[in-house]
Amino acid sequence: MNKIKILVLLSLLVIAFLLDVALGSVHIPVKEVIKVLFTPDSVNESWIYIVEKIRLPKALTAIIVGCGLSVSGLQMQTLFRNPLAGPSVLGITAGASLGVALVMLSAGSITSLYTIKELGISGSWLIIIASSLGAALIMVIIVSISSSLKDNVIVLIVGVMIGNITLSIISIWQYFSSPELIKDYLMWTFGSLGGVTGNQLVILATVVFAGLVISFLSSKLLDALLLGDNYARSMGLTVQRARLLIVLSTSVLAGGITAFCGPIGFIGIAVPHLARALFNTSNHRILIPACCLVGTVLMLICDIVAQLPGSQTVLPINVITALVGSPVVIWIIAGPTKLRGF
Amino acid sequence: MMRKLNYSPLAGLFSCVLVFLLLTSSCKQAPAGKKHTSAKTGSAEIKYAKGFTIDYYDSYKLISIYSGIGTQRDTAQYVLLPAGAKAPEGYQKAQLIQIPVKKLVAMASTHVAQADFAGVANEIVGLGSFKYITSPVVRKNIAAGKVKDVGVDGTMNDEVLISMRPGLVIVMGNPDARLSKYETLSAAGVPVMLNSEWLETTPLGRAEWVKVMAALTNTEKLVNAKFDVIEKEYKKLAAIGRSAKTKPSIISGMPFKGTWNVPDGDSYMAEFFRDAGVSYKWINVKGKGSLPLNFETVAPEALKADFWLNPGYVDSKQDIQALDGRYADFKPFKSGNIFNFNKRVNDLGSNDYWESGAVNPQLILGDLIKILHPELLPDHQLVYYKQLN
Amino acid sequence: MAVKQPLLHTAGLTIGYRSGKNPAKVIAGPLNLDLYAGQLICLLGPNGCGKSTLLRTVSGLQQAVGGSIELEGKNLAKLKPAEIARLISLVLTDNVRSGNLDVYSLISLGRYPYSGWLGILSQQDKEAIDRAITATDTVAFLGRKLDSLSDGECQKVMLARAMAQDTPLIILDEPTAHLDLPSRIQLMRLLHQLAKDTNKAILISTHELDLALQVADQIWLMSSGGSLAAGLPEELVLNGSFQQAFDKDGIDFDINTGTFHIHTSGRKSISVTGEGPAAFWTRKALTRIGYALGPGVDTDEQVLVTEIEGVASWTYKKQGLTLSFDQLKELLTVL
Repeated sequence: MNKIKILVLLSLLVIAFLLDVALGSVHIPVKEVIKVLFTPDSVNESWIYIVEKIRLPKALTAIIVGCGLSVSGLQMQTLFRNPLAGPSVLGITAGASLGVALVMLSAGSITSLYTIKELGISGSWLIIIASSLGAALIMVIIVSISSSLKDNVIVLIVGVMIGNITLSIISIWQYFSSPELIKDYLMWTFGSLGGVTGNQLVILATVVFAGLVISFLSSKLLDALLLGDNYARSMGLTVQRARLLIVLSTSVLAGGITAFCGPIGFIGIAVPHLARALFNTSNHRILIPACCLVGTVLMLICDIVAQLPGSQTVLPINVITALVGSPVVIWIIAGPTKLRGF
Repeated sequence: MMRKLNYSPLAGLFSCVLVFLLLTSSCKQAPAGKKHTSAKTGSAEIKYAKGFTIDYYDSYKLISIYSGIGTQRDTAQYVLLPAGAKAPEGYQKAQLIQIPVKKLVAMASTHVAQADFAGVANEIVGLGSFKYITSPVVRKNIAAGKVKDVGVDGTMNDEVLISMRPGLVIVMGNPDARLSKYETLSAAGVPVMLNSEWLETTPLGRAEWVKVMAALTNTEKLVNAKFDVIEKEYKKLAAIGRSAKTKPSIISGMPFKGTWNVPDGDSYMAEFFRDAGVSYKWINVKGKGSLPLNFETVAPEALKADFWLNPGYVDSKQDIQALDGRYADFKPFKSGNIFNFNKRVNDLGSNDYWESGAVNPQLILGDLIKILHPELLPDHQLVYYKQLN
Repeated sequence: MAVKQPLLHTAGLTIGYRSGKNPAKVIAGPLNLDLYAGQLICLLGPNGCGKSTLLRTVSGLQQAVGGSIELEGKNLAKLKPAEIARLISLVLTDNVRSGNLDVYSLISLGRYPYSGWLGILSQQDKEAIDRAITATDTVAFLGRKLDSLSDGECQKVMLARAMAQDTPLIILDEPTAHLDLPSRIQLMRLLHQLAKDTNKAILISTHELDLALQVADQIWLMSSGGSLAAGLPEELVLNGSFQQAFDKDGIDFDINTGTFHIHTSGRKSISVTGEGPAAFWTRKALTRIGYALGPGVDTDEQVLVTEIEGVASWTYKKQGLTLSFDQLKELLTVL
């Protein structure tokens, strides 16, 4: 039964991937798209550019982001035994936003730009590094607080509060910034799968892959945590260590993705529910790959919709993930099939 | 302290009483059936700007600033009175401004440039921010402590402004802004004017807003003369540009991740493009000034374009490549034909393009023609634009 | 005869809470306890006396304030959680209704200390799980989700999980709370049987005094003062420990009947003559309506209960008045 589901999802994945690469603002016949993908050679040079350098990296990013966010959301839901938890619940994405705000909202000052140039970092790498540092900072705070806290609920609340504090700091910054800088920062918060190419794509893929491997190897302890801290401890789990490992892998996944793509919401919360409902299991050894599959398909679909194929504009990915995802979850949980998620 | 007490409530009260007396006295004096109005003596000649008109009357000037288009047009009226003159009746909603304006507070670089143009930059006593300033006169005054920082628009320090008793505060208006936002200030007797030169879609139209400054400071003769020179020069250059035999293709702006905002046919920049003689894909698209396009829509043009203009906050090809490696594939990148208007950036990080550039469109047009058709203007030195390497 | 080594041995154990740098709050102790394989031990005591704390401390979930705990001779404080997991398994009152867990997955979680890196079950693991399922009679619910089980079924499943963990000692914290009477009896009976059949030691805390007295091999009786009396249930009754433990709450334990008296002694005296269930229950009814049962025929009021072939009849005598009834209800109406 599961094998059939996997096959269906895999085929959906391939179709969605092809559609994502084939559709866009510029009309390129599907035959040409396939030609570019497999034998980079086409009559039209700009078509090669568009497919190879714009659409293909974006589709690959969608796959990476779909996996990474879903699995980190799954871990958060298991660790806190809370169906509404997601990768941003510990404030990691807020921390990433803080780093970016620091760079973007003070970027007007040429002096600051020059000093950073001395370090040899500029452009989008600046944003990526600042974002990663911000996420790492929050991660360190959460980890150090959580090691002295026994109760997971407290850690969750602390994480949410730290996230709020961080966002307030950003708001204060925005209040005193000029409109152009605010607009730039706002654009970043809309999230985008589009800017990740070349070296950046390689690094993002590596980071997310590392995070996914750690998560998968933690399957067993995630299973134990489903029963709560006391039972987990009684089964031999060192809960503090397990929590640390989970927070670490989630931070790497969520922080890394946010650094390259901006904050992308909703996928981390919705996909674990879909995966649980579709595969009808709580076993993380199955759920983690399932989340990757479902998350990837969903992300690609969202990207296709965001392209508004045929039109000249493109919608922010964050808007689409929420609009496409919410009804799906409602339908799964409360709809006719009554596949219960949690 | 004492000044504050005297100023706010009493000045307001005084003007109310004055207007009331004027109304009642004029009612007594008016011949039966005919309302007493000041005779209109003429209007300023506004050839390009669509956002304002200036009417001259016997004892006052009337500036009408329009926002919005067509039927939704809103008019804000400003009555300019010399000291000691009686305020005319029939202008209850208008803002009264005493002229010539002394002690000016400017919120935008363009207003500083306009003041400079009219030779009254010394009157500036307040700025929205000290970061974006090029004018040497104003900078000297800042260094001497004669200019106050009053906060960016939106977070203006009302108390500081009121205590300064400026003759006028000029802020950036926009189609949605209402004077009501600045009620605290007007109620305290601080006149506020919403300028919207940035809504003009032609360079000469935007520059022509110096005539508003002229009316405010009684420098019409000087300003009109200077503007005529600029107008002539611009039109001469535009003729050269429009009749150029080749029209190189251009792209403009810098994308952010997946979206590339390009100027459309109704933008200020588009008019420059037309006058400079280019081939620009979206030159005829009607819109709000900027089109948010998908990166992949613009990329094919960028791959083939001859020139890349206005690439944003970058200073070199390395900066551009650091933003996204794919930009290196664009033809203008490979050929080195990237030009940005950040040649005149001072040590504070302030770009003079936004200041004096707003009132010197002929220099900008000259730059563009020199870039695009170097053979047509062999002697022109680039003023605001520079080539990025 | 060789002395069996105790599975669990505490020496001078004091339990309580430590918060930060404050001095620890001791709830009970010092306790010297021994627990042997093959026994069902019931931990009884009024609410708040520290039963849960004792269980949590002994299972390693909580730190002891003082003294030592030994499991199979090894010092608990020096054991790693993974090692403790092979010695003690728990059934707690924690809510585990979340996670989309189905019964088989939950039971197989008991193999956590033994299964491989990714939690893959070996043949041995699967056999242990099957044994646990058979022992707890949970075969019927294997495919169902946790939230579709009744409380009684859920408890059985949690017990099966603990059994799958294959530990010499299983500790259950108030396993019969929230269960209906038949489920309670079923569970206690099951636990008693398991201890015998598998030679495991089973330690439970409970409020079921009646059931505990019937099935426990050992009773640990905790009192609110922090002391603990351990021994055979019958001995604890006969030596007065039971009465002492519950005396403070104003509860009367009748060592003749093994029950607690709800009703205080009535003022009026009545004597009941007769044997068998009808007489027994008549005495109960009279106590309920306020009579004190007198010794013999010298009391003012007397009741004679006779049973002929299963049919009971009552005769009531008072100062010369004699009435007969076919139904207890009628007798009570008259009184």
